Amino acid sequence: MARRFGRKRYCRFTAEGIKEIDYKDLDLLKDYITETGKIVPSRITGTSARYQRQLARAVKRARYLALLPYTDQHDN
Amino acid sequence: MRHYEVVFLVHPDQSEQVPGMVERYKTMIEGNDGVIHRTEDWGRRQLAYPIKDIHKAHYILFNIEADQKTLDEVESAFRFNDAVLRHMIMSKREPETGISKLYAEELREQEKDRERDRQREDEQARAVARETESNVDGDDAGNDTEATEPAASTEDTPAQDVQNEAENVEAEEVLEEED
Repeated sequence: MARRFGRKRYCRFTAEGIKEIDYKDLDLLKDYITETGKIVPSRITGTSARYQRQLARAVKRARYLALLPYTDQHDN
Repeated sequence: MRHYEVVFLVHPDQSEQVPGMVERYKTMIEGNDGVIHRTEDWGRRQLAYPIKDIHKAHYILFNIEADQKTLDEVESAFRFNDAVLRHMIMSKREPETGISKLYAEELREQEKDRERDRQREDEQARAVARETESNVDGDDAGNDTEATEPAASTEDTPAQDVQNEAENVEAEEVLEEED
C-alpha cells in the first residue's frame, strides 16, 4: 500500500526512470493496490498519468493470470 | 513478424506433461519460421484466486517472434487443450531475453529447496552415524565374548535399514506438505 499521508508526493516511476511497468513485477505492483485488491488512485500515490495507465494495465494483466487477486473476497 | 509474450497456465495434475507441451509449441512456432527468444518455467504457483476450483497452476512463459498465422495456430492449440487453464498473448515492441522477476523468484526457491534437501541429508547421515556408534558401544558392553558379537551385528543391520527407510518416508511427507 502506498502511503496516504506523506509530505511530498512524487511519481516513483518518473523518478526512477522506469521504461515500462512489467506485470510480472509483483512486489512493485503490490505497492499500488489496496488490501482489498483495488488499484490505488494516482491522486493518492502521485503517479503521473502516463505511468498510472501503464500501472493499471500491468495490474489487470497480473489479475487475469491469477498473480494478483481481483478482490479479497475470492472464496479461497 | 512481430514480437509476442505468451503466458499459459497448465492444470497442476498435468504438470508432468509440461516439457512435452513446451516442445510441441516450440516446434509449432519454429516450424513456421518463428523465433523463440526466451522460455521460462515458473513451476507450480499458488493462484491468487481459484480457477475452476483449482488453487495451483503451472506457469509457462514464452517470448516469441511469429507471424499472425502461427500465432492463431498456437492460440487455437491452447483453446483445445484441456490442460491449459488460461492463456494470455501480449504484443511487445522488442524481444525480451533476460530473466524475469518471477522466474528469478522461482529459481531462488529451487535453490533454497536444494539447500534444504542437502542439509536434511547431512543431518540424516550424522544421525545414522551417531546411532551406529551408540549401537556398537551397547554391543560391546552387553557381550564380552567374541562368539556372539558377529551374530549381533548382522541382526543390527537390517533393523537399521528399516529405520533409515522410515526416516526417508517421513522426510518425503514433510516435503509434500510444504509443496
